[in-house]
Amino acid sequence: MAASLPRKVWQTLGAVKTGVVLLVLVVIMAAAGTIVLQRTTTEADEMQRAYSPQMLAMLDGFGLTDVFHAWWFVLLLGVLSASIIAASIQRFPIAWRFYSRPYKSPDEAFRKALPTHKLIPVKDEEAALSIAERVLRKTGFPAEHIVRQNSFSLFAERNRLSEMAVYFVHASLLLIFLGGIVDAEFGWRAFLSLTRGEQATQVQSQNGGKHQFAFAVRCDSAGQENYSDGTPKRWWSNLSVLKNGHEVLRKQIAVNDPLVYRGLRFYQASYGMNGKLDRLSLRATRRDGGNVKDIAIGVGETVSLDADTTVRLAEFVPDYVVGDGEVYARSSDLVNPAAHLVVQSRKTNLPVNVWLPPIPGVEQNAASPYTFEGKNIQMAYFTGLEVSHEPGQLAVWAGVILMGFGLVMVFYLVHSRIWVVPVHDARGHTQLWIGGAANRNKEAFAQRFDDVTKEVESAIAGFEVGTEESARLLAAM
Amino acid sequence: MAHTKVEQHPATAGRTLVVMVGLGVAFLLFIAFLNVVRSGNLLSESNLLYAALIFYCAGGTLYLGFGITGTPSYVRFASLATWAGLVANTAAVAHRWYEAGHPPFASIYEMLLSFVWTLAALTLVAETKYRVKVIGTVTMPVAIVGVVLMQLLRTEVRPLVPALQSTWLHVHVTLAMLAYAACALSFALALMFLIQDKMKTETFLAATSVFTTAIYAAILTRFEKWGGLSVTAWDPEQKSELFLSKGIRLLLVIPDLGWLMLVVSGAVAAPLALYLLWRKTHNDGHLDLANRAVFVSVLLQVLALVFFILRVRDGHYFSPDADGQFATSLAASPFILSGLISGIFLSLLYLLLLWRRNDLERMLPSVDDLDRITYKTIAIAFPLLTLMIAAGAYWANRTWGSYWSWDPKETWAAITWLVYAAYLHMRITRGWRGRRAAYFAILGFAVVMFTFFGVTYLLPGMHSYA
Repeated sequence: MAASLPRKVWQTLGAVKTGVVLLVLVVIMAAAGTIVLQRTTTEADEMQRAYSPQMLAMLDGFGLTDVFHAWWFVLLLGVLSASIIAASIQRFPIAWRFYSRPYKSPDEAFRKALPTHKLIPVKDEEAALSIAERVLRKTGFPAEHIVRQNSFSLFAERNRLSEMAVYFVHASLLLIFLGGIVDAEFGWRAFLSLTRGEQATQVQSQNGGKHQFAFAVRCDSAGQENYSDGTPKRWWSNLSVLKNGHEVLRKQIAVNDPLVYRGLRFYQASYGMNGKLDRLSLRATRRDGGNVKDIAIGVGETVSLDADTTVRLAEFVPDYVVGDGEVYARSSDLVNPAAHLVVQSRKTNLPVNVWLPPIPGVEQNAASPYTFEGKNIQMAYFTGLEVSHEPGQLAVWAGVILMGFGLVMVFYLVHSRIWVVPVHDARGHTQLWIGGAANRNKEAFAQRFDDVTKEVESAIAGFEVGTEESARLLAAM
Repeated sequence: MAHTKVEQHPATAGRTLVVMVGLGVAFLLFIAFLNVVRSGNLLSESNLLYAALIFYCAGGTLYLGFGITGTPSYVRFASLATWAGLVANTAAVAHRWYEAGHPPFASIYEMLLSFVWTLAALTLVAETKYRVKVIGTVTMPVAIVGVVLMQLLRTEVRPLVPALQSTWLHVHVTLAMLAYAACALSFALALMFLIQDKMKTETFLAATSVFTTAIYAAILTRFEKWGGLSVTAWDPEQKSELFLSKGIRLLLVIPDLGWLMLVVSGAVAAPLALYLLWRKTHNDGHLDLANRAVFVSVLLQVLALVFFILRVRDGHYFSPDADGQFATSLAASPFILSGLISGIFLSLLYLLLLWRRNDLERMLPSVDDLDRITYKTIAIAFPLLTLMIAAGAYWANRTWGSYWSWDPKETWAAITWLVYAAYLHMRITRGWRGRRAAYFAILGFAVVMFTFFGVTYLLPGMHSYA
């Protein structure tokens, strides 16, 4: 019967050769993805520097600049999965029959063909069988009695599950693929930056989508611990989860220790200054003597210095430059700070601009009833949180664990079987046929089989000598 | 019949090498001891490592001696020396661990430390358990190269950046080292298999020559105008490579070194050319010439290595990109250095094979045994690789919020896994045995080496720590 086309396709898909060819293709494509610069991890201008425009257009056209998300790579993984499934379905029935209906009673053809076997001549069939059974039990092969027409034989086996091991590995691989596909389709990642006291209810993910949380996450505090040489040792943030304004969860997260809530994970990713001021500590001294006051002030806050006078921090520039009579911020690093204070007195009702340090052209420091001295600058710190949603993760980890078990089974679990059958040759002599088979690590099993049969042989010989001895003693009486 | 050769050796000749190596070890230890007495610090990590190096060198020499002469007593002393080296190495690992407060897997230096330890330990296991005595001939030189490289790389304990402070990282790297060491072993066994399988010596000649030529071709990508060779600049204060901008290393030009490399690359390519000529003409004179050319190329390669070390070690050279003189150091060019050393090592191995093939064949286990043990080491390596990838993914998930991000190191780890997976499929279901399986084992190890070194130095990515 000629195979139809779909059947041929199905057979080809399940062939080991197809699987290996697909593996090799995945290897080549993945290697290409590590050699060609990828758009996901490279800046656009760096790509342009590295390749000529025609080259770049060609690479983009083939999807080589984003191999791992290209349709053909996903298709390749899909075909590989289909191949694994096809191979498993095609082989499973045979393996299952082998597993569910173990071959317990070997016929003559099987006995002749089996390479690992031994024949031991015996006198008393039943006694020999029970000796063999005892030896087998002792060596870890508890045997069952297989009843034949008018006698019985023995069958013992270990680790039958080993026959199914490869299906565990393949199933685990499919589970991992499934989880990966779910995450690629429905998962997202986003970066969230919070300063102390700030809270967020949504994030913008890296591919542009907005994601609303069913709750709010607030940063209560964050910090950094350093090694003695000043390099960062640990970053941490105290986060609270709020629902309808109520706090439902509180956790200190650190690098390697995320907050998990409702399928969302918040990771500590970075920590640093964003150029904003938290608090500026100042000492204000009245010009006409007497009144000295220490104050701490944030941007936009107003503090009263005495009954008539107030001061407001109008502006804080972490790194200033002066140009055309104006003050500009050069960077957001705390390099060259300047503070703009506005002092107001009820008597004159005129605002006076005080600059620290005094910047010619804009400062009116001399007109202020107070002089100011900077004591301490406390910058605001932000904590950088990586937010991720990976609904397929569970399948991936389940697959990994299953694969661990599967591989141990594939490599180290040996299905070994031993049969003991009494046979009668043409001249009516009885022999014990002992046969053994293992599905892997055959050399070690052959050694073990040899030990077992030797022990059976010597035990039977010992028994027979013993019975002869007692028979002689009986006769002599 | 095969044993007549051994019996020809007078009893004393078998001792010569042992006595010489013993005296060498005693001398080196004595010199080192004098230095230690002067500095007053006996159990420092570098001293321990130095002791390990001396013993490994002794072990390697004796293993090689065994490989060449087949004197059984050499192996006894070789494994004794390896044991001594392993003790010193263990002490160095423990010292490092104690000093750093974390298992020694955080930098490439610490990983080499662990890798060498694993390799020496596995060699002893293979020797005592599987009776593959000659394996040290291959693995010990690799261990020696590892220790030498370590001497050049930074040794001070560096604090760990926050992302690396995780037990999972240690699990990940331990598994990686174990898996890679098992792969290295399977590679050595596969090579031995090919020798026992009567693969032609000429084929090994071609392979050696192709490999060394490839090494020098890679080095010559750094060839500059007017015969210079560019190397990475080194910041002696920070003990790190200098970067022009993010990800772009500052290169310095060492004048005239490029010419030398060009000449040596010609010398290593010559055997290949002669081999190809022999394939065409079948004139055995060409083959003979090719073998002589290998010998000459070894001498030239040693010359290239010596000059490279002399010029690069603590030199100051001009940089065309940054306009000025900058320092350089061997530690800034680990790639070129290990390339040069492995070229020499490989050529020497080939010469060993060329001159002593009969003795080697007599000493190695049988073809079937080698085939089986190769498979067994891969059966150990593969689950370890799987767990290594899983532990890495789990750690990445806890740290970056993503278990898989197709970063080059991850991708190459997956490629390694796939290559070995293909090997296992072909072996288990299609009954691949013998040569094809051995080729696959060699290919697998090549991919492992690329993942370990190549990705770190050639491809960009997140695994910048190592």
